Amino acid sequence: MSEAALVPPAKNYSAFDADLTHKALNVRLFVRLLGWMKPYRFTLISSMALVVVAAASSVMMPVITGRVIIDMVLLPNPQSADLPDYGLIAATRFLAELFSVEMLTAAVFLYVGLVIVQTLLRYAHQLTLASAALKGLRDLRVDLFTALERKPASFFDHVAVGRLMTRVTNDVGALFDLLSGFGMLAGEFVPFFLAVFLMLHLSSQLTGMLMFVVPVAAVGTYIFRVAMRQIFRLVRNSVSALNQYMQEDLMGIEIVQLSGREAMNSQAYGELNSENRRQQFRAVDYEVVFETFNTSLGSIATALIVWYGGGQVVQNEISLGSMVLFTQLIGMMVTPVIAVGQQFNSLFRSMASGERIFQALDWKETLHEPAHPVVLPERLEGDVELRNVSFSYAVGGPVLKDVSFKIAPGEKLAIVGPTGSGKSTVIRLLVRFYDIEDKTIFIDGIDVNDILSRDLRKRVGVVLQDFHVFSGSVLDNITLNNPAISRERAEWAAEVVHADRFIRELPEGYDSILAERGQNLSQGQRQLLAFARVLAADPEILVLDEATANIDTATELIIQDALHRLTEGRTSIIIAHRLQTIQECDRVLVLHHGVVEELGTHDELIAHGGIYHTLHELQFQDDEVTASLKGEAVEDGEGQPPKPPKASPSAEDDPWVPGVEPIA
Amino acid sequence: MKVGAFFPPAKRERGSFRHLGHLKRLGPYVRQYAWVLSVSVGGLLVTRFFDAIVPQFMRTAIDSLVEPDTPSNVLWPAVGILGVVAVRFGIYVWARRLLRRVSISVSYDLRRRLFDHIQYQGAAFFNRYGTGDLMSRAVNDVGMVQRVVSFGWVTIVMFFFSIGTGLYFMIGMSPALTAWVVLPMPLVAIAGFVMARGMFPYFRAQQEAQAAIASFTQENLNGIRTIQAAAQEDEEIRRFREVSTVFADKVYRATRYAASMKLMMPFLSMISIVVVLFYGGTLVQRGEITVGTFSAFFAYLAMVTGSVSSIGMSVQMFTSAAAGTQRIFELLDSEPEIVETSAEDLPQEIRGDLEFRGLSYRYPEAARSALEGIDLHVSSGETIAFLGRVGSGKSTLLRAVVRLVDTPAGRVFLDGRDVCDYPLHRLREVVTLVPQDPFLFSATLRANLSYDDPSRSDEQIWEAAEAAGLAQTIRELSEGLDTVVGERGITLSGGQRQRATLARGLIREAPVLLMDDCFSSVDTATEELILSGLERMREGKTTLLISHRVSTARHANRIFVLDEGRVLESGTHEELLALGGYYADLEAVQRNQDQDRARKDRLVRNLQDSQEREEPAQRGEPAVASTES
Repeated sequence: MSEAALVPPAKNYSAFDADLTHKALNVRLFVRLLGWMKPYRFTLISSMALVVVAAASSVMMPVITGRVIIDMVLLPNPQSADLPDYGLIAATRFLAELFSVEMLTAAVFLYVGLVIVQTLLRYAHQLTLASAALKGLRDLRVDLFTALERKPASFFDHVAVGRLMTRVTNDVGALFDLLSGFGMLAGEFVPFFLAVFLMLHLSSQLTGMLMFVVPVAAVGTYIFRVAMRQIFRLVRNSVSALNQYMQEDLMGIEIVQLSGREAMNSQAYGELNSENRRQQFRAVDYEVVFETFNTSLGSIATALIVWYGGGQVVQNEISLGSMVLFTQLIGMMVTPVIAVGQQFNSLFRSMASGERIFQALDWKETLHEPAHPVVLPERLEGDVELRNVSFSYAVGGPVLKDVSFKIAPGEKLAIVGPTGSGKSTVIRLLVRFYDIEDKTIFIDGIDVNDILSRDLRKRVGVVLQDFHVFSGSVLDNITLNNPAISRERAEWAAEVVHADRFIRELPEGYDSILAERGQNLSQGQRQLLAFARVLAADPEILVLDEATANIDTATELIIQDALHRLTEGRTSIIIAHRLQTIQECDRVLVLHHGVVEELGTHDELIAHGGIYHTLHELQFQDDEVTASLKGEAVEDGEGQPPKPPKASPSAEDDPWVPGVEPIA
Repeated sequence: MKVGAFFPPAKRERGSFRHLGHLKRLGPYVRQYAWVLSVSVGGLLVTRFFDAIVPQFMRTAIDSLVEPDTPSNVLWPAVGILGVVAVRFGIYVWARRLLRRVSISVSYDLRRRLFDHIQYQGAAFFNRYGTGDLMSRAVNDVGMVQRVVSFGWVTIVMFFFSIGTGLYFMIGMSPALTAWVVLPMPLVAIAGFVMARGMFPYFRAQQEAQAAIASFTQENLNGIRTIQAAAQEDEEIRRFREVSTVFADKVYRATRYAASMKLMMPFLSMISIVVVLFYGGTLVQRGEITVGTFSAFFAYLAMVTGSVSSIGMSVQMFTSAAAGTQRIFELLDSEPEIVETSAEDLPQEIRGDLEFRGLSYRYPEAARSALEGIDLHVSSGETIAFLGRVGSGKSTLLRAVVRLVDTPAGRVFLDGRDVCDYPLHRLREVVTLVPQDPFLFSATLRANLSYDDPSRSDEQIWEAAEAAGLAQTIRELSEGLDTVVGERGITLSGGQRQRATLARGLIREAPVLLMDDCFSSVDTATEELILSGLERMREGKTTLLISHRVSTARHANRIFVLDEGRVLESGTHEELLALGGYYADLEAVQRNQDQDRARKDRLVRNLQDSQEREEPAQRGEPAVASTES
C-alpha cells in the first residue's frame, strides 16, 4: 500500500458536481435497482400479478356493456354469437339461469362483480407495490448512507455536503417515483394489449386504422422532448439564479442595509424575477400545446370509429355493440400512450437520479485497513512517535516533509507555527483521516497502519477547532450516542471540564435540546462541551486544535483550567494559539512549511532565539512589551492578585434569552 | 440526538376547511388579472361544452345504425367530432396558456413584493425568521399559490360545470334516468371532501418524516469528522436506518389512506352505473329510449364521475395553498420596526459629533435591558473604545447609532440632530458600521469592497484594501480584485474575511466609523499595523470601536467599559489602570498570560468567588461556564 499512499489517486471529483442528464434508457441501471428489491420480490411479483388481473377485468367491463348488454339484450335482433366475448355471454346466461333472472339483471350483476374484484385487486396492488418499493428503497438509502459514512476525509474535502444530501434525499425519492411509475405503466399497458387484442379480434381493419395513434403520440412526445430540453434547462437556471440571489441577500442583509443597497438589490432581484417569468412563459407556451395535443388524440380516434366503424356496421362486418365497444376501448389504447409521454420526463429524471446514487455507491475511496489488525491492549501507554512523515494532499505540494518526533507517555506537546505550516495535518494523520506510508507513525511502538482505524480512533481522542454540535440533547452531544458511555460518566466528564454548571442551568439540564449547529450555545460553552465529549470517551491520547477566536478573558481562563484538567496524565498534542496553553505543555514543536524547525521547552526555544522566539515576540509578547514599557514588571504579580471583575460573568451571552444579541 | 427529536409528537388534528379563508388575502394579486382570468376560464368552459357535444354526435350515429331500414348517418357525425376537436384545440391552448401565464405572473408579483418587503425589515424580523425559513416561503409557498391559481380553482369550476353540462344533456335525453343517476351524486361528493380533509395529517406526517431524513443527513455529513473521529459510524448508520424506516412507514400510511379512500370511489360511482345499466336497459327494452341515448348516458356518466374523483386532489391543493398563503402574508404583514421619518434642514456636512442622552434599549422579548441610561458625548475627531463582556451592550450601542435596532427618538444625536430625523439612507451613508460577522457575497473582491457603490474606482478600492491590511493578500491571488469569494468562490481565512469586511467599511470614508470587534481573527501584529494606519487615515474623523483586547483599546482617546448595559468605567488607558477596576483587572489578566499555574488557578477562583458572592441567583438565567472548585 505504500505506493498507493505516496501518490494519492487523482480523482475527478468534479464528476460529483456534473449535471447528469440521460438521453437513452439505461436498462442496466434498472436491473441494478431491482437488486435492492430482491428481499421483497414476492411482494413485488404478487403486486404485478394483481395489477395484471385487475387490468384484465377492467377490459371485461366494456365487453359486458358492448357485447352482452347492447348486442344480446338491447338490440331488436341480437347479433350472431360467434364474435369474441370471452365467455361473458355464457357466464351471463349461467347466472340468469342460476338465479332465474333476466339476462339484463344477470349482466348487471356480472358487471358489479367485476367492478368489485377490480377495485379490490387494484387496492391490493397499490399497497403491495408501495410496501415493496418503500422497503427496498429504504435499504438502498441506508446502503448509500453507509457508503458515505465510511468515506475518508479526503472525499469530504472535495465533495460538497449539499451534493451528497441531494443524493440521499431527492434522488432516492425520484427512484420511488420511478418504481411507482413503472407500476402505473404496468397497470396501463396490460389493458392496452388486451384492448388491442380484443380490437383486432373485432375488426382488424378498424384497429389498423386506429393504431396511427401510437406513432403520432410517440413522434409528438419526441418532438416535445427535444424542443423542451433547452427550455427546461433555462427555466431551471433562472430559478436557481433567483433563489441564490435571494438567499445571499438574506444572509448578508445587515451589510445590504448598512450599505444602503436595498433599492439596488430589489432592482437586481426584479431583473432575475422577470427573466424567470419570461422563461416560464416560454415553457408554458409549449407545454400547453403538447398537453392539448395529447387530450385530443382520443377524440380524433373516436371520430374515426364513428365514420369507418359505422360504415362497417352498415356492411354488417361488425356489430353495433362492437362499435360501441371500440369507442370504450380506444380510451384504454390512448391513455398509456399519453401516460408514457407524461412519464417520459420524470423517467429520465429518475434515470439521472439512479446514476447519481450508483456513482456515489461505486465511488472507490476508502482508507487502507490492515488485513491482519493488531489487537490493542486494554490500556495503551500513550507513547507516540512520528518517523520521517511526509505527506501531501490530492492537490498542491507537500504539506509535511520528513517530520519526526517522539512523545513520552503522559507528555504534553504544543505545536506552533504560522498558518499553512502543516499543524492541522499532523492532527489529521494521527487520527488516520488520511492514508500514510507504512512504518511512519507509531503508537506504543505499533505501526498505526496495523491498527483498524476504528480501534485507533477509540484510543486517540480529538477536539477539532470547529466543534460540531448535533441537534439533540446535551447528553447525546457528550456521548455522541455511544451506548458504551453511561449518563453518569457523561455527567462526570462535564463536571471535570466545568461544563456541568451551565448545563444544569439549562431548562432541562442534560436533556435540554440543542439547536442545529449549537446556535443557542456561546463559543465558550461549546468549547467546554467539546472537552466533555472527548473526556467521556476517555482516550489514552489526546489531540486538540485550540479555537482561535477571541473570547472574553473570564471565559478564557475557565477554558484554560478545563484544558489543564483534560490533559492531566494524558499524552496530549495541542495546536496552541495562546501563550498560556503553550506554557502548560512540556515541550514545544515549531512547524514551518511542513518542516520541524525547533523542538524543546519554552525556555530553551526562547533562549535559542530562532523562529519560536520571533513568533513569541510578534504574537504573544505585545502586551508584555507594553507592560514593561510602562514600568510594570511582568513577573511582579505576587503582591497584588488581580481583583475580580465587578459583575459576574454569568450575565454574559445569555444564549437562551431570545433576541438579546441579534444576528451576532 | 434521539430519533424522536426529529419527529415532534404528531398532532392528530382533524381536517377542516376553515384555513381556506387565508386564500382571501390573494384577492388583490389575482384581481388585477380578473379580466384575463374570466376570459380564460370562459374559454375553458367552452371547451368543456365541446367535450359534451361529442357523445351527442355518437348518439346520432349509433341511432342511425340501429334501425337497418333508415339510411346510415356516420360521415357527418365523424366530421362533426373532428370539427369540435379542432375548435376545442385552439380554444383550449389559448385559454390554458392565458391561465398559466396569469399564475406565473401572480407568483412573480408575490415574490417581488416579498423581496422588497423583507429588504427593509429590522433585526427582530430576521431573528424570528431564519434564512432557510424565508427562502422556503418565497420558493415553496409561492409555488403552491402558483399551482392553485393555475390548476386548483379551475378544477373546481370545471367540476361544477361538468356536472351541470352532463346533467343538462342527460335531462334532455331522459329526465327519469337522470333523476336516478343524480341520486348517489351527493354521496360521491361528500366522500371526496371527507377524503381531502382526512389526507392532510397523513401528508404532513410524510413531509415531516422527509424533512427528518434531510436534516439528519445534513447534520451527520457536516459533522462527519467528529463522528469518524469518535468511531461512531455504526451507531449513526443504525439511527439513520431508524429515521428511514419511520419515513417509509409514514409514506406507506399515507398511500394506504389514499388507496382506501380511492377504494370508496368506484363503489359509490358504481351505484350510478348500475342504475344506468339496469334501469336504462329496461327503458331501452321498453322502447322509451334509444340505444344511442343509452351509450351517450354512459359517456356523460364517465364525465361526471371523472371530475368528482379529481375534486379530492384539488381540495388538497387548496389546503396546502391556504397554508402557504398564510405563511406568505405573515411576512408581508410585519411592519418594518424602523419607521422612516425625516426632518427639514439637516446638516449637509457631517462633523461627526455623537451624543447619547439617557439611551436605554430592551430587545423585544428580552428579559432585561441591553442598554440602561447611557450618557456620553463623543466629540468630532475622537477615537473611542468600548470594552466589556459578551452581552454587556457594546454592539447594541453601536447598532443604535445606525438604527439597526429600533432606536428611541431623542436619545442619540449626530451633530446635534436626533439620528431618527435623518433618512435611513443618509444616516448609514455618514455613519459606517463594520459588523462583527465577516460576511462576503459570492462576487468578486472588487464588487464586495465597493458594495455600497459599484462605481468606485480601482484606486479607491486599493487604498481601502491597503488600509485594512488586505492589499498583500489580494496581490497574491492570481486574479487579484477579480477573484470571486464567498460561498461559491474561493474560501478566505477568517482573518482575511474580517479584513475584507473592514476594507468594505473603510472605503466609504464616512465621518463616523463604528467597528464592532472586527479584529478578533486578526493576529495582534497585523492588528497593530492596521490600527496605526487607521490613526492616520481617520485623522479628524470620529471612530468608535469594540474590542476584547486591552492592546487595541489602548489606541483610543477614551475608553468605556460597559457592563449590563451601563457605563462601568471611563477614561484614558492610564486613568483606567490607575482606577484599578475591571479594566485594570483585564489588563493584568491579559498581560499575565505567561504566569505560572498557581497564579492562574487563583485568578480563576477569584473570578468564581466574585460570581458566587455578587450574583447569588441570576434571575434563573443560565450562566456561562464556571469553575466548580
